[in-house]
Amino acid sequence: MNIHEYQAKKILNRYGITIPKGGIAYTPNEAKRVASKISFRGPWMLKAQIQSGARNRGYFLEEKAGKKGGIRQIKSRREIVRNAEQMLGATLVTLQTGPKGKQVSRIYVEAFNKVKKIFYAGLVVDRMKSAVTLLIAETKDQDISDIAVSTPEQILKIELPLNDGVEPKQIQQVLEFVGLSPRSAKSLETLINGMHQAFLDYDATMIEINPVGVLANGALIALDAKISFDDNALYRHKDIKVLQDDYEADDRELQAAKYKFGYSEFDGSIGCIVNGDGLAMAVMDVLRAKGYGAACYLNVKGGVDKDKIASGIKIIMTNPRVEGILINILGGFLRCNLVAEGIVAAASEVGLNVPLVVHFEGTNKDDAKDILIHSKLPIIIADEMDEAADKLIKAIEESD
Amino acid sequence: MSILVDKSTKVVCQGITGTQATFHIQRSLDYGTHVVSGVTPGKGGSMHLGLPVFNTVAEAVKETGANASVMFVPAPYVKGAAREAVEAELDLMVCIADGVPIKDMLEIKAMLKGSKTKLIGPNTPGIITPGEARLGIFPENIHHRGKIGIISRSSTLTYEAVIETNRVGLGQSTVIGLGDDMIIGMDFVETLKYFHEDPETEAVIVLGRLGGTFEEDGARFYKSLEHKKPVIGFVAGDAVPFGHKMGYAGDIITKGRISAQDKKDAMLDAGITVVNNINHIHRELEKIFQCCENCCRL
Repeated sequence: MNIHEYQAKKILNRYGITIPKGGIAYTPNEAKRVASKISFRGPWMLKAQIQSGARNRGYFLEEKAGKKGGIRQIKSRREIVRNAEQMLGATLVTLQTGPKGKQVSRIYVEAFNKVKKIFYAGLVVDRMKSAVTLLIAETKDQDISDIAVSTPEQILKIELPLNDGVEPKQIQQVLEFVGLSPRSAKSLETLINGMHQAFLDYDATMIEINPVGVLANGALIALDAKISFDDNALYRHKDIKVLQDDYEADDRELQAAKYKFGYSEFDGSIGCIVNGDGLAMAVMDVLRAKGYGAACYLNVKGGVDKDKIASGIKIIMTNPRVEGILINILGGFLRCNLVAEGIVAAASEVGLNVPLVVHFEGTNKDDAKDILIHSKLPIIIADEMDEAADKLIKAIEESD
Repeated sequence: MSILVDKSTKVVCQGITGTQATFHIQRSLDYGTHVVSGVTPGKGGSMHLGLPVFNTVAEAVKETGANASVMFVPAPYVKGAAREAVEAELDLMVCIADGVPIKDMLEIKAMLKGSKTKLIGPNTPGIITPGEARLGIFPENIHHRGKIGIISRSSTLTYEAVIETNRVGLGQSTVIGLGDDMIIGMDFVETLKYFHEDPETEAVIVLGRLGGTFEEDGARFYKSLEHKKPVIGFVAGDAVPFGHKMGYAGDIITKGRISAQDKKDAMLDAGITVVNNINHIHRELEKIFQCCENCCRL
């Protein structure tokens, strides 16, 4: 789960990390009021709050929003109202949002801070080392993932201890790497320790401050902030869970999440229902090798009942891209007969308007096939994954 | 022979009184697995499925001599259950649950360091040595005793590989699901090592997927081996667009851009035979063992 910049900054601020003075606004007038409260005179920063990076280099789909991106430096109060009017309700497209973009429902108004240097600070889990890892880089306007690919040696990586604070020599290492003066040391220690503690306390999967700014007196300030949380640990962070912004997520994705299913959309034409992420990937690979792509996949995981499966199938059926459905279930924990009952229930309720091919393997697969055959629905049964894809493609091409 | 589990393995089930545990432990017992006891805190002293139930793993070990655990406890309780298993010095624990918090896994990995306990999972179908022991949720009826070892990072794809070995009548020595999660216990390196030490295993199938560098590490280890058994590899994830949320963003920053093809290249470089379609594994097995789909049926 992700949260907005202003929410992330608030959390980091509680750990002693300095953030610019600011406030959130849902209307242009509110933006003006917040700006006056921050300072008598500008400039201020107006920042569109969508859960995506690269907002500065993004663009709005609507003409009324003007040509500038989602992060704007504003000099006068009148301009604040005008720019807030432009951005609120408009759709911001960035490198990370996809072409559909995301609608801006609120704006964060901040004091403009003059800094003499900026750098990137991030915390992630290095899964191969099973360690929380600090990443530091001078990005110079480049995307951190681009640097990671082209010149990874420009990123300083430090494994942080799981149960202790950050070691002083690690702080020193960062200080030297970025080329900060000794008077920034205290502030850097607060920044890194704060990020580390917040990461552990809140079960974060990623914290990014991009950029950290160095003020004239050497103190560090978080000019932007992003926190992602581990969905599997949200049960112990009720205060974070309430921040979930349904506005941000895709409709079908939200519906799938209600049943604890995984759901993802792509730009192909086949709806896939599977149990397991690896299987989802394998099915997509098989389709691609045959010149077809997935429109979406639904991962029903394990331990589900007939009604949940039926609801899942209905979610796939509402995706307008879907021209055919491929169900690939390898039963272990999940029993194939339950899936078959769900398929029959969904198909009888909403009707089958696209071809549907099913491949079952594992626990209770013969019972499952019997259920499908007895239902007398036009469901095609296959004995292996490859054959299932072939049969579906044939059915789609014949129905064209 | 086999690896890690056989009929001498004495199994304790953590969380035995739950619905899924009841269903699967009964099946494991019917399969002949030597399950000796169960653990459910608060239910010590009772019997379940004809087995004694204890409050702690330590008691189960003391009273019934268990040396391996299969855990059916829900994700939020996995960390506590793992600590008990490690402190009781079990040889092996198999964690079935999916959705274990990442931080809990980091702490479990730290506990495992320097302990004698090996972890399989989490989010795994478990481990099965056909005809001897089933620790997990494998559909046991598809397994046949044989000479192929299978190691998989994708729970459900494991079954496909099992069926591929059956198609050419070779069967399996031991099948291990490493787990679908971001942080897992045993990896390709460790399990490949075991399979190379097992005289019954004549070839190994490794099933990888996008995410992390487990396949690269496994390939590098394989390359370093002096005496290599034939290995067939498969990697899922060619069709996943780069940067899609299916992957963990932290992977890119820590390791750079890794595609499924990079993993296949690493395998090829190490001398592993790579198939692009999982249903083609049996053809490669045929080449290695010169059998055919109909001439050496089980």
